[in-house]
Amino acid sequence: MQAQAEGKTGSLGIALAKLEDVVNWGRTGSVWPLTFGLACCAIEQISAGMARFDIARFGSEVFRASPRQADLLIVSGRVSNKMAPVIKRVYDQMSYPKWVIAMGDCASCGGPFNNYAIIQGVDKILPVDVYVPGCPPRPEALFYAMDKLREKIKAEEKLGVREW
Amino acid sequence: MTNFLEKLNAKIPSAVTERTEFRGDETLTVDAAHLHDVARFLRDDETSQFNLLVDVYGTDRAKLGQSPRFAVNYELYSIPHNRFLRLVTAAPEPEDSSRDALPALPTVTDLWPTADWLERETYDLMGINFMGHPNMRRIMMPDNWVGHPLRKDYPLGGEPVYFEHDRNNPRFAHLGKPIMFGPSFETELPEEMDTEGNMVINLGPHHPATHGVLRLATELDGEVVVRVGPEVGYLHSGFEKTGENVRYEQFIPYCDRMDYASPMANNYAFVSTVEKLMQVDIPEHVQYARTILVELQRLGSHLIWLGTHAMDVSGTAHAISQYTFQMRERILDIFEMVCGARMTTSYFSVGGLRWPLPGAFDAAVRAFLKESEVHMQDFEDLLTRNPLWLSRTKGIGILKADDAIALGVTGPLLRAAGVPLDLRKVRPYLAYADLDFEIPTATEADTYARYTVRVAEMRQSLRIIQQALDKIKPGPHRTANRKVALPPREEISTSMESLIHHFKLVTEGYRPPEGQVYHVHENPKGWLGFGLLSDGTAKPHRLRVRGPSFVNLQATDLMARGGYIADLITVIGSIDIVLGEVDR
Repeated sequence: MQAQAEGKTGSLGIALAKLEDVVNWGRTGSVWPLTFGLACCAIEQISAGMARFDIARFGSEVFRASPRQADLLIVSGRVSNKMAPVIKRVYDQMSYPKWVIAMGDCASCGGPFNNYAIIQGVDKILPVDVYVPGCPPRPEALFYAMDKLREKIKAEEKLGVREW
Repeated sequence: MTNFLEKLNAKIPSAVTERTEFRGDETLTVDAAHLHDVARFLRDDETSQFNLLVDVYGTDRAKLGQSPRFAVNYELYSIPHNRFLRLVTAAPEPEDSSRDALPALPTVTDLWPTADWLERETYDLMGINFMGHPNMRRIMMPDNWVGHPLRKDYPLGGEPVYFEHDRNNPRFAHLGKPIMFGPSFETELPEEMDTEGNMVINLGPHHPATHGVLRLATELDGEVVVRVGPEVGYLHSGFEKTGENVRYEQFIPYCDRMDYASPMANNYAFVSTVEKLMQVDIPEHVQYARTILVELQRLGSHLIWLGTHAMDVSGTAHAISQYTFQMRERILDIFEMVCGARMTTSYFSVGGLRWPLPGAFDAAVRAFLKESEVHMQDFEDLLTRNPLWLSRTKGIGILKADDAIALGVTGPLLRAAGVPLDLRKVRPYLAYADLDFEIPTATEADTYARYTVRVAEMRQSLRIIQQALDKIKPGPHRTANRKVALPPREEISTSMESLIHHFKLVTEGYRPPEGQVYHVHENPKGWLGFGLLSDGTAKPHRLRVRGPSFVNLQATDLMARGGYIADLITVIGSIDIVLGEVDR
């Protein structure tokens, strides 16, 4: 019986790997973003989730409404002085491991809004993993950023809480 | 035409100190002491009947050498008489000279409830107090903000942009340093909220169904909504201040980022305001091309609304958002072909189009029209008689015509209440006068009526595009006025004059004459108004934006009261807001 099963599935041998590699590999496959939109980029973020671009091809179609269930915060738009504490709180509510993509020029560096109302880049309040240029970036650019993020996750050397 | 003015002068003598007309805009300068009486007369008298308060905004006139320093502008519109009127009232300087004292005017919220948020915005950004206002506190900036950003002595702010970066230079030491915020302070709840007897829950600013960063403090008695206090300003980006610090032409890209669901329409609204100020003649080809693109944009905006609204109301059950976004992608493809960008188009420039329409434009739009007939039928099959959809939308969020007008609501919301007010019909612009289309209305004034009105509007848009495509003739894509539009490339190498015009336009921009204009365009969401106060330089002295979503959002409280909390989401969806435009 056992021999038969082995014949079908091949040899069920033993594979050796570092724990980090296995865990990181598992994490790359299903990065769940938070349903969080700020401005114009949010519309492109929605487009990325729709049929034409289909973010599901990359395992990230499950947009979570609660920060507790999300792995990825996509800051899609300009961050105003009034909104900044809220974003900080939303980020703090997400459980580890968590990543941040600054989508678009405004989230990366303030973009065209160099004025009193807008914080010049969300990296002033949160640690950002990937910056996406564009105003707004196309959905493909967001996918490229998520690809870069996967590379980054795979290369993570330590498990556990990351200090900023 | 001016008989109401004679009557007004007879009734309240010495109230109107001056009457001017500039570019078709009629302005009355009103004495502050009589403002309230004049406003009441203009609203109620049958010769005037200015029942719609379009906009309230302040101007800082210190640099124009006028005294007193601040003035408040009231843009009025009379639906029965179809005419606009502007009241300008100088706000008297405060008597005590301490730094915190603000100039003050009487409020008009008791006459037009829509003035509530508009006056709060003027107070917040311009620092003008309105006496008798029920809730005079900041609306855009955080409650603990110091200063009034739109005043001319308030700096633009922001950070210097360095084009080189040397880590060892102490000048750059501050760069990259995070600013960590302390615990966020709690924003005040509206005073009348009963936090003891009822439950107050906070919806937003991060909530998947608020269509952006909108916060709704909601007082609930069980599951029934007692009161809703919308709190906006979480996306305040300082558009008006930015616009006053760039040249007219440079503001066009900013318009795209305001109502980001309909950038083409925003572009048109701004460009046409500058054209009104400068009296530019627009070639016929451009008029038709703009009509087609603006109507495509109307479709695109309504498609976002339909997809997200249906998702809010009945979940992903029929996946209609997937289909509406698919149809919108076709429109975005056309935009991309026309100007290279999907969303931030900036395709219209003052005096025409930035580039000629591409050769394949006609065929692409025709193919889209053919395809979209099928799509539209699909949407209606999915929703119009769907029992789930009917039970969630019929009789929900009722906004009657009188309340809507008092609250300054425009666009599909007003038409769903039975008022056939559409600027494309009542004051035709672009090529609308030559095209045959109808203004869909409904009388039920509920969420379902808004759905039927918008869907019928989409069909009318398809009809307009079809006719405009048949009628459009080849022609120049810019006005021949070289003071405004760039000369053609070939001309620059042969004509010295053209070279000079080109150089002047690129380096300095154009200088409109001194004056003040206000122009309103029928955006997909309602009336988008731009006010420009020119001091004769290349930058506007005052740039005002009236976002239709901002004004329409005020109706949330009235529409949601007495309904269930689940219907509050339906109500927000049916207003069709875009927070970029609410907060500006």
